[in-house]
Amino acid sequence: MMRKRERSEIIHDVLSAINAKGEAKPTHILYKSNLSTKMLNEYLGILIGKGFISEKTDKKGKKLYRLEEQGFNYLKDFSVIKSFMESYGLE
Amino acid sequence: MALIYLSPQWFVGYDILLEGIFAVITAAVAFLAWQIYRKTRERQVGLLSGAFLLIALSYIAQTVFNGFMIIEATENIPLLQKAAEIMFFKTLGMYLQILFMLLGLAVLFFMTCKSHNKRLLWFLLAITLLPFIFIPNILTIFYLLTTIYLGFILWYFIDNYRQNRQWKTLLIALAFLFLFIAKAHFLIAVNHQFFYVLGHILELVAYCLILANFLLVLRK
Repeated sequence: MMRKRERSEIIHDVLSAINAKGEAKPTHILYKSNLSTKMLNEYLGILIGKGFISEKTDKKGKKLYRLEEQGFNYLKDFSVIKSFMESYGLE
Repeated sequence: MALIYLSPQWFVGYDILLEGIFAVITAAVAFLAWQIYRKTRERQVGLLSGAFLLIALSYIAQTVFNGFMIIEATENIPLLQKAAEIMFFKTLGMYLQILFMLLGLAVLFFMTCKSHNKRLLWFLLAITLLPFIFIPNILTIFYLLTTIYLGFILWYFIDNYRQNRQWKTLLIALAFLFLFIAKAHFLIAVNHQFFYVLGHILELVAYCLILANFLLVLRK
């Protein structure tokens, strides 16, 4: 049975999926992060709210997401963040 | 104020050194938590940072005022004036230490509740005032409240270890177990001077474990 992912790991997976493409479509993020559409929309909303990512619309009217500085910082220090949050049960 | 002179003569100075070490370790955890809060914007991490900062301030107050007290004791001034000034520093230091420690533990307990209810936080902060209402028993009430807070916080960290069996979660659970014993034993202590020393040693073990976890996290 697969282990349930922690919140910080899901955020990491979503950010990594966006980072790998530079600008990513929701379908790509959905496929890479292994989330349901409902969950992905929730996480995208949270990440936009935290200033980790930004949303824009392309010429065809499709949504695109890209990482902001805060998102890059999160990815860079993810191992320390995850380890600290696990230690104190902050997930 | 009969309980004001808790430290045995030979331990004076060592206790200030230990409290200084506790202040540095708790301030370091508060700083790291703050850095992580800035990156994650997770409310719980912010609360943990605030809680450790308040606990660090408690130890700083203890260290600074105990230091003033020793300086005062060695100064060449009339005995009566010296006694009054020592008493002033000791009392002020103790009140600040109690206030910051209880505020820190209240915030830490609130963090473990994972609640968004601000009324709960205000209720916990209001309880912090209890020792100042019952001044004649201030230390007893302080130790009673810290023991209750630490008991519930320990429960949370043991649960965290049971759900996530790793060295780092074990270190934090053990650290809070030692902190709990360090405060709880005071309530049943007969010889307060002996238990004052023992309490500091137990706290030292607890903060060494928190420091070990801190280094383990940064090594990743």
